[in-house]
Amino acid sequence: MAKIIGGIGTSHVPTIAMAFDKGKQQDPDWKPLFAGYEPVAKWLAEKKPDVLFFCFNDHATTFFFDQYPTFALGVSAEYAIADEGTGVRKIPRLKGHAALARHVARSLVDDEFDLTIFQDLPIDHGLHSPLTMMWPTSPDWPGKVIPLFVNVLQHPLPKPKRCYALGKAIRKAVESYPEDLKVAMVGTGGLSHQMIGERAGFNDEKWDREFLELIEKDPERLAGMTVADFARLGGNEGAEVVMWLIMRGALDARVKKVHSNYYLPMTTAMAVALFE
Amino acid sequence: MSNYVFDLERSSRGLRLNRFLHGLIAAERRKLFLERPEEAMQGLSEAEKDMVRRLDWKAMQDYGASFFCLEKLARTKGVSNPEMVAHFRGETLEAFLKTRRVPGAR
Repeated sequence: MAKIIGGIGTSHVPTIAMAFDKGKQQDPDWKPLFAGYEPVAKWLAEKKPDVLFFCFNDHATTFFFDQYPTFALGVSAEYAIADEGTGVRKIPRLKGHAALARHVARSLVDDEFDLTIFQDLPIDHGLHSPLTMMWPTSPDWPGKVIPLFVNVLQHPLPKPKRCYALGKAIRKAVESYPEDLKVAMVGTGGLSHQMIGERAGFNDEKWDREFLELIEKDPERLAGMTVADFARLGGNEGAEVVMWLIMRGALDARVKKVHSNYYLPMTTAMAVALFE
Repeated sequence: MSNYVFDLERSSRGLRLNRFLHGLIAAERRKLFLERPEEAMQGLSEAEKDMVRRLDWKAMQDYGASFFCLEKLARTKGVSNPEMVAHFRGETLEAFLKTRRVPGAR
């Protein structure tokens, strides 16, 4: 049977991809960020999950507001890298685990999560800005992904409680897949940042640190909060951390945070955390 | 909480402008916009064209542009996110960078 072996929470800031693509690993301004991902990359290299299940959001790249799903699951065997305005990143196309994704789609709908299903669409930095920090890109990706799109752009957004419940349903779906596969959950986004309005540039490190504690020890409390609570505490765009709750919902009630890193250089608090 | 929640009213009001901005994910649209901006902006209203010409990020945001659609225009014109954020705050990039922990990380 397929098994969830752990979870990763990570920011998906586009400048993370920019720093990677420009080879800034040794640049003093970026070194603390790269160093923070090393234990995660090492864990992945050792545990060798077959699939990374990514809870991510698109940034009005592939999904546009003329037709905007709340949750959408990718069920293809391959995904192109999206052009977001500066050309396509020079990284391999993503490999999808189509069979597991299709099984998860059926299981989730059976569990009354009526998702949108997508195929063969390009994926933006919401997924692969953190991916290139965690998995090698050459000669090719060492495993497959399943992309789960979440609307965190156009209100009303799904409730944190619903995201957490979706995580639990994903676990049930994965664990009912007959093949022996190792799956790691990835929840992306945050931490605190606000890109718009008078409060643009807002951060709150104290709240971010509290969030990193609660997501490990008391996710139920986070799931009981509203999207407005998350926006007030972590900034409008920071409310996207509800995607971490999907990841967390798919893990055991009790988990151990074996690593975390926090770096706030510019507008967005860049965090990564690993749970077993 | 900030007033700037991108809700269905804002999304509806900004749809035409956002569709134009979103279109810049295609290399040929970017090329056309950089070479013949008026032709590229044909479908927009005069008020919308004016905001785009002036790269008035705040005016576009207030009108209904999604930040993530504005990013496509910013990338096309070589404008960074910290520059846009500074504009929303009503300050210069230099002043904004002074409030940041690692001003070089951009």
